[in-house]
Amino acid sequence: MQQKNYSQKKINRMKKELKVIGKPIPKQDANIRVTGKAIYGHDIVLPGMLYGAILRTEHPSAIIESIDVSEAKKFPGVICVITADDVDVNNIGYKRDHPILKKGEANCTRDEIAAVAAETKEIALQALKLIKVKYKIRKGVYDAFDALKESAPQINKFISGKFENKNIAEKFHYEHGNLEEEKKKSQHIVTRRFTLPRMTHACMATSNITASYNNVDRKLLLYSSTQVPFLYQRDMAHALKMNPSDIRVIQPVIGGGFGSKLDMHPFEPICALLSIKTGKPVQIIYSREEEFIASPIRQPMVIDLTAGVDKHGNFTFREINIVKDNGAYTSWGATTPFVIMQAFSSLYKLKACRFNAMAVYTNNVFAGSFRGYGNPQATFALERVIDLLADELGMDKAEIRLLNANEKGEVTGQGLLYDTCGHKECLETVISKSHYGKKSLANKDSRHKRGIGLASMLHVGGGAKIYRSDGCGTTLKIDPYGYCTIITGSNEIGQGSETVLAMIASEELGIDLKKIKVINTDTDVKPWDVGVHASRTSFVAGNSLLGAIKILKEKLNRKTAELLKTSHPDFEYSENKIISLKSNESIALDKVVREMHFSQPNELAIASYFYEPSSKFQDKDFKGNVSGTYAFASQAITVEVDTYTGNVKVLDVYVAQDVGKVLNPLLLGGQIEGGILQGVGYALTEELLMHEGRILNPNFHNYKMLTASDTPEIHFYPIETNDKEGPYGAKGVGEAPLIPTAAAIANAVCNALDLEFLELPITPEKVLFAIAEKKRTDKMHSL
Amino acid sequence: MKEQLKNNKTKMEVLHEISFTLNEKKVSCKIKASTVLLDLIRDFFELKGTKPGCNEGECGACTVLVNGAPVNSCLFLAVNANGKNITTIEGLTNSDGSLHPVQESLVQHGAVQCGFCTSGMAMSIKALMNQYENSQHVPGEIRSEFPTRDEIKKYLEGNLCRCTGYVKIVDAAEKLFAKED
Amino acid sequence: MNFEIINPSSTEELLGTIKSLQKEKFRFGAGCTDLLMELKKNPEENLTVINLSQVKDASFTGIKKTTNQFRLGALFTAHKIVINEELKINFPVLHQSALTLASTQIRQVATVGGNLCTASPSGDIACALVALEAQCEILGTTGKTRTVPVTDFFMGPRKTVLKSNEVLYSISVPVNNKLSKNILSGFIKVGTRRSMECSVVSIAYHIQTDEHGNIINAGVAIGASAPTIRFAKEACEFLIGKKLKHISHKEKEKFAEKVLSYAAPITDIRATAWYRKEVLFNISKSIFE
Repeated sequence: MQQKNYSQKKINRMKKELKVIGKPIPKQDANIRVTGKAIYGHDIVLPGMLYGAILRTEHPSAIIESIDVSEAKKFPGVICVITADDVDVNNIGYKRDHPILKKGEANCTRDEIAAVAAETKEIALQALKLIKVKYKIRKGVYDAFDALKESAPQINKFISGKFENKNIAEKFHYEHGNLEEEKKKSQHIVTRRFTLPRMTHACMATSNITASYNNVDRKLLLYSSTQVPFLYQRDMAHALKMNPSDIRVIQPVIGGGFGSKLDMHPFEPICALLSIKTGKPVQIIYSREEEFIASPIRQPMVIDLTAGVDKHGNFTFREINIVKDNGAYTSWGATTPFVIMQAFSSLYKLKACRFNAMAVYTNNVFAGSFRGYGNPQATFALERVIDLLADELGMDKAEIRLLNANEKGEVTGQGLLYDTCGHKECLETVISKSHYGKKSLANKDSRHKRGIGLASMLHVGGGAKIYRSDGCGTTLKIDPYGYCTIITGSNEIGQGSETVLAMIASEELGIDLKKIKVINTDTDVKPWDVGVHASRTSFVAGNSLLGAIKILKEKLNRKTAELLKTSHPDFEYSENKIISLKSNESIALDKVVREMHFSQPNELAIASYFYEPSSKFQDKDFKGNVSGTYAFASQAITVEVDTYTGNVKVLDVYVAQDVGKVLNPLLLGGQIEGGILQGVGYALTEELLMHEGRILNPNFHNYKMLTASDTPEIHFYPIETNDKEGPYGAKGVGEAPLIPTAAAIANAVCNALDLEFLELPITPEKVLFAIAEKKRTDKMHSL
Repeated sequence: MKEQLKNNKTKMEVLHEISFTLNEKKVSCKIKASTVLLDLIRDFFELKGTKPGCNEGECGACTVLVNGAPVNSCLFLAVNANGKNITTIEGLTNSDGSLHPVQESLVQHGAVQCGFCTSGMAMSIKALMNQYENSQHVPGEIRSEFPTRDEIKKYLEGNLCRCTGYVKIVDAAEKLFAKED
Repeated sequence: MNFEIINPSSTEELLGTIKSLQKEKFRFGAGCTDLLMELKKNPEENLTVINLSQVKDASFTGIKKTTNQFRLGALFTAHKIVINEELKINFPVLHQSALTLASTQIRQVATVGGNLCTASPSGDIACALVALEAQCEILGTTGKTRTVPVTDFFMGPRKTVLKSNEVLYSISVPVNNKLSKNILSGFIKVGTRRSMECSVVSIAYHIQTDEHGNIINAGVAIGASAPTIRFAKEACEFLIGKKLKHISHKEKEKFAEKVLSYAAPITDIRATAWYRKEVLFNISKSIFE
């Protein structure tokens, strides 16, 4: 009997039957959020805390002739007023081209001129109105192509001038294959220019920080919503000329990230400076209007794409020139071509590619990073052109994609290695589920036209080695009561990483989820990690945790063997017990830990591990296997266009995504659905409108984020390719869902109307205008 | 004491005394005429569960119930709370800390991500339940016992969420009504 | 934002308050949503708000049906319109306009009177009331009332005929009598999203026929298309006598052109004048499709 039991268990183990992983387990931190008990930055109140507020420029481009803060300083309740003259700091930003407080000139509508700390928020805001700034208004440059002209003034004075044009902030060049040769082989070549809008994150919680400087031991404590606490700590130290270790970053509960909190923004060191100057805690919380004006955006860009196809439908070459509007300062957003070039070089098999991108300074608001990191822009252009190539060739749009889809084992021209690749399966799934091409979409009536569109995407799925390390550290401990604490370098920004890590620990150690705690908010405590970006957390932090578990289990196994007096090393961890697979004898986990702690040789049940993905740093030509693995997805989307109003209604979204392995279907579904709705917004409604450097719609009233009533039906089909690098085979999933959405919607709208759209968002007005134009030209032709 | 000093520094303000029921407790306080309910709840009563999302009535994160109906507390004058019954997210949670069915459903359906919209979302769903429970106040109305999925979406139109795409939130609400079947 | 507030609880107190403030700067607040938004952005010095939301009198807050009209107190909320089944059956245009107003939360507090007195060219309920040719009852501090057709109520954007010693008391809409089944009535609101929109263009229509399907009464109003909401009189007259079910394509276009002749839209961040006209023409046609 016992023997049978043993073998059954052995078989289960060999099959790796998972008890926790793959189950729809609710987010472990959902309870505190749903009861209002979670402490966000907005909820922090410290003893003696002051309230900070920032005066921004009145003009996007102006000489600042003088700043008079004397009245503000005299205002009752004002404790401190600072301008650039009062502080000794370094520039911030990825290119160190961004002064925290501006002096001499203003170059963008966000520019911080002065800051106030006062006893109440109202007093701080009133004091701002008392600051008198004399401006001499200049003519600004609000178009990247204008900024490239000889006659344009140099907008940012802090760059080294290593490029041929004074207003180029950053440049990228990449190529593979013989482009000229492939051009000759092409049966059809399509060239188009695509224009992409400014979209903003619009996190539900506005930007916030609470800084508390202790002037006795000269240490700075920051309650910050950063996504990348360790890079942030270093950047803050550089800005303030402090030692990084004297800065402790604690992340309160974060009310939305999506990439917006990758850069450190000026308000953060400003808040720290106010705290340093006053010796008191200072809090800055953005108003919603300020959030729209002064927080980052998805990079606007113009993409010139020329692509070819041979007579059989094989993609031959792509030639890409991108001009990105960098705004007045350089953020991580300038580095999005890292990702953009991957989409162009490596999504679908491609023989030759030449890619040029530059970020150009203007007097517009500066870009940042945003979920997808340039990829939604690239995918929109690429997938639109694929439809056009198919049309030229008279080939079915699904067929041309299947023919060129990426495959397992492929090494792309850029050197990306697809150890696993679900591209074809993703395409096949959405084609079949959406009945693509099978049933023609019947129009409801002559007014409402229906269409369907396809698009795929490729994104890093195992981190992205863009920093010296793409690693993550974990310290794992089990206490004498059998509770487990995971101290991870990774961060929770709402995506559910805490839960996934707890599930992994529960799976491997057989400890109840309720007995697992995740500590991830304090740079003084947690080990190093590069931060939340590149859909990397489950992959990198998950692997890091698995590494620590392995080490800890070796220790626990040794003690268990001793206690059970067995030499057989095969143990199963289940229901808070350690069970010998040979004798079926078991011992409580907490007892093993107590024996470790309290009997000789006294030892802690603790282990640390640092995981570094196998990915490589790309060479100077941007070649190399930059990620531990790659994620693929395809979407087929049906739309209905109201030709009377131009409104596009998204009906059904069929999405298949190569997620490697489903770790938690509930959390995964949340990432998919949330990403898709952001993609729908990018495609149809969301745009930060600007005129001459000023934002025209800094509110939810006119920035059209979608509501519950705008949600389409989403049909999700996870594709499991079980990547050997990923934890349990999983890949990164967070960014992928929104990447192909706008492209697929654009293709569907074009399909419905037999029209072309070259820019996003496809607003009702643009639709109606295109329909009217078509009518006009059709009439002209028929004359 | 310090608050008083601060007030003296600015201007003598006329304060209005109001009394109301907050999460089933009778409370009273003195407020400025221009105080909005959101600030009163968060700053005076220190109930931080109600979230300031936009302060302009567009996002619904600050939704609370006034006599059972959902309002944006950022655009609701605190003087108008006088005599009313106000419920915040803290009042939705049972006094022993256990979750209200609305909260339980949101958790179980994976409807909570960053959570900043969640308090307001939960209050709106609770209000929808109230509306259906009290449907006798609509004379002669022919209405199904439960809202359709589209009706739920429409009802939640004033609660923005950036993380979830609303699907799981609507799932959670729908399930609440189905359960009573 | 800083202001004083007076909270009258009865009509009598209200009139006394208005009288006492004649030499001072005051504003009315009912749902206060628009007012607070405005004051948060542009605070006014030494302002007193007359808070209407504590006025208890049913003549202000309730609804009353008589043989030939529904009388809605000025403080009747959008939410109350939405859930009122009789209004829904008799005036789909009013029901739909209230249902598309802002959000569930705003509708709890937003009032009919507020929607009218804000005198926004894109007011939803206001647009429906213009199509219904409602009557505004205005109460003066003397206690006397006067009645003004809603079509004459607006003087321009944010301007109404209300004098400083007057307050909007009620709005009355004529009852359809037994004809409630023979109506074509609705509100079309065009915007980018399906919710939380301020109209880019809107059209309210309420068309009645006799037993034979001949149009005997028509009310059409357009929103967000001119400095004020406009009643498209000529378009209405054009419809009288026609058979509702047999309006030809040409007639639809003729009707739409007549509606369009009342539009003088502007270009702003939400849409161009071109778009507004184009859409107005199309949705006008669509009423009969």
